[in-house]
Amino acid sequence: MTEKDTTHFGYQEVETKDKAGLVGQVFDSVATRYDVMNDLMSAGIHRVWKRFTIELSGVRRGHRVLDIAGGTGDLAAKFAPMVGDQGEVVLADINASMLSVGRDRLIDRGVPGNLYYVQADAQYLPFPDNHFDCITIAFGLRNVTDKDLALRSMLRILKPGGRLLVLEFSKPDNPLLGRAYDAYSFGILPMMGRLVAGDSESYQYLAESIRMHPDQDTLREMMENAGFASCDYHNMTGGIVAVHRGTKG
Amino acid sequence: MSTEVRLPTIHTAGLAAAESALNAALKLSPHSVEALKGLADQVLALECTKPALTLFLRADDKGYLHLAGAHEADVTTRVRGTAEDFGALASAKDPAAELINGNLELNGSSATLTDMQRIFADLDLDWEAPIVDGLGDVAGHQLASMLRAAFSWSQQASSNLQRQLGEFALEEARLTPPALALEDYYSDVQQLAERSDRLAARVERLRQRIERLRLS
Repeated sequence: MTEKDTTHFGYQEVETKDKAGLVGQVFDSVATRYDVMNDLMSAGIHRVWKRFTIELSGVRRGHRVLDIAGGTGDLAAKFAPMVGDQGEVVLADINASMLSVGRDRLIDRGVPGNLYYVQADAQYLPFPDNHFDCITIAFGLRNVTDKDLALRSMLRILKPGGRLLVLEFSKPDNPLLGRAYDAYSFGILPMMGRLVAGDSESYQYLAESIRMHPDQDTLREMMENAGFASCDYHNMTGGIVAVHRGTKG
Repeated sequence: MSTEVRLPTIHTAGLAAAESALNAALKLSPHSVEALKGLADQVLALECTKPALTLFLRADDKGYLHLAGAHEADVTTRVRGTAEDFGALASAKDPAAELINGNLELNGSSATLTDMQRIFADLDLDWEAPIVDGLGDVAGHQLASMLRAAFSWSQQASSNLQRQLGEFALEEARLTPPALALEDYYSDVQQLAERSDRLAARVERLRQRIERLRLS
């Protein structure tokens, strides 16, 4: 009997080759209500987390920026005017539904023409070596099947001195807050998903995938092991979310 | 230039709210927006030491003002001081003189700071436009005229009160010395401090000379 190659999908153990498809189904299901649900679930605070991430990016006029798992384009929309006509922003997502919602939304908002859309897997990024000044991945890394492979792929396409920012749910630094957060995630979140998006399972997966994601120090080590230098992180909202930063040496 | 941000969620949310309020006010003052376009991409770092708070201000080419708690690139101007020092600069009639004579520590171009201060000091909000948009031409204009008259009266009353209190304290109650006498006094103190420093330096040189002579 051969041992199967497995990974986690929330709390379930699934075959590695199946995870991308399962995650794809989740995002196909939530794509149209993604923004409304984000605002509801976080009481709008996800905008503050993203704003702080942008502050840490160091992006300026003329830079080339890649926003992986960019979903509905919150970060890309902010980066586009920052890099100006001389720069470029690429919004990438593995999921066609999310990318389509993001593209329609940004076109409707009249975001400048220096923005490109690419359907891409974070593990095998289809860009040349040393290409981007900054890469961001917000609330996306935990859904990637092989995170180490994805981090190495990001390192390859970053220019030397370029910066990776990973905004992701993490581990609350206060046990009391952790318990309240657990009660919220497993009690209220799936219920809100059922009422607003008509889909409680996807939001149950969201809560489970957050718990299975590496904590702050583990993710920093993973970034260092992938080859990033000067890795650090900032906890936000008591560690519910953390933004990790690493530089290509 | 990296900055450690404490409580980033609260700090960032506060700055986002302040940025929205400032830009909403600037929309009512088109000439301020035009002036800010001239400062596009210049970054002003305001480092308040007491209370500890760092703020980065940047205008973009559309005259939109951005506030940030962290800025990961070079800044055009960095100003450091206490909240009191910043308050003195904000209310100064002559910001350049305040920068020279005040306690603020400045690195980089002072022009960015004084230009920004001047833009905010000259902020002339057109209250009428949003009120007319909301209430219609006739009622909106009436209300805006009343508000403008009330604002102008309160400004004048405040300035009169300030002048009369100053005159009373100086002439009637004799609580404060005249401004010129005070300036002379400050100048004497400054000269005395400089002479003391020079004397201390001379004494130190003399002490070192005696020490050298004793050793030889």
